[in-house]
Amino acid sequence: MNMVNDKIIFTGPVGAGKTTAISSISDTPPVSTDVACSGEERAIKDTTTVAMDYSYIELDNGRRIHLYGTPGQQRFDFMWDVLTNNGLGLVLLINNNNPDPVGQMEFYLDAFADFIRKTGVVIGITQVGISDNATLADYQSKLMERQQIYPLFEIDGRSKQDVRIMIHALLAVLST
Amino acid sequence: MDVIQEIIDKSHKADMNDLERYSKVLKAKLEIMLAELLEECSDINGAMVSSTDGLAWARKLQEGMDENRFSAMSSALLALSDNLVRETHQGQIRKVLLESSGGNVLILHAGKILILTVFTCENVNIGMSLAHANKTAEDISELMEQCSS
Repeated sequence: MNMVNDKIIFTGPVGAGKTTAISSISDTPPVSTDVACSGEERAIKDTTTVAMDYSYIELDNGRRIHLYGTPGQQRFDFMWDVLTNNGLGLVLLINNNNPDPVGQMEFYLDAFADFIRKTGVVIGITQVGISDNATLADYQSKLMERQQIYPLFEIDGRSKQDVRIMIHALLAVLST
Repeated sequence: MDVIQEIIDKSHKADMNDLERYSKVLKAKLEIMLAELLEECSDINGAMVSSTDGLAWARKLQEGMDENRFSAMSSALLALSDNLVRETHQGQIRKVLLESSGGNVLILHAGKILILTVFTCENVNIGMSLAHANKTAEDISELMEQCSS
């Protein structure tokens, strides 16, 4: 495996916690391109990523993994292609508190379908238990229905441990 | 000038959150400013104003150009450039200049929340376009300040 390709991409809708997840596990202050929200998204949060988040972590075996976060909004889909180019795999974060989170999972699985087919994906559900929107079982049965078997976690994006587990799960999936 | 006065009157007690309410008038004014920019500098063949988070506000572009897509791209380029300049201790960014075989693209901050993107024709003297783009960005910045003060 080429060292240059040791790149994992975090994606998911606006407010899923991509920037938070990357900053909570990163060894250095991440590069962040957050700007103030001006449109309807202002109701959801104050700032949003417009180009990318970037950081890296070093695993226990000394292997360095580069982490890239995509902007969430579909209008930035050109960055999705730029950032996934030569990537190792995908971490998909879904905010359970959003309207129709299971539908959002499907949207991103479809949008990144080519990349996922070539590599792999793990799915992290954030903000579980805040609303009774959906349970992990709802996501699982949707994946079953789509005949897709992917690791699925309930995570807190602020927890270094939670995010680390997802990355290790992704690396495990990729090595099989 | 009537338009500006109208915006100022209406937004006298407005903060940034109220800007949207005046956005129609504001966007119309921005379109006029872009039209003037293209008129004053024949080297410039397109311009648009968008928010720093990549939403289109006003356009004066050639047929078939999608301002929504280019607004998002401009904001991504400028945000990343801001980072590079800041992290390498180069002060404040003035503009992003893309020199290409078919023309140039200039991306400038125009106040706190807006971006001006300017497209030039092929083989032009870039200085003239730069000067005009700077002036328009300043004008937009001033207009926005009047609106939010």
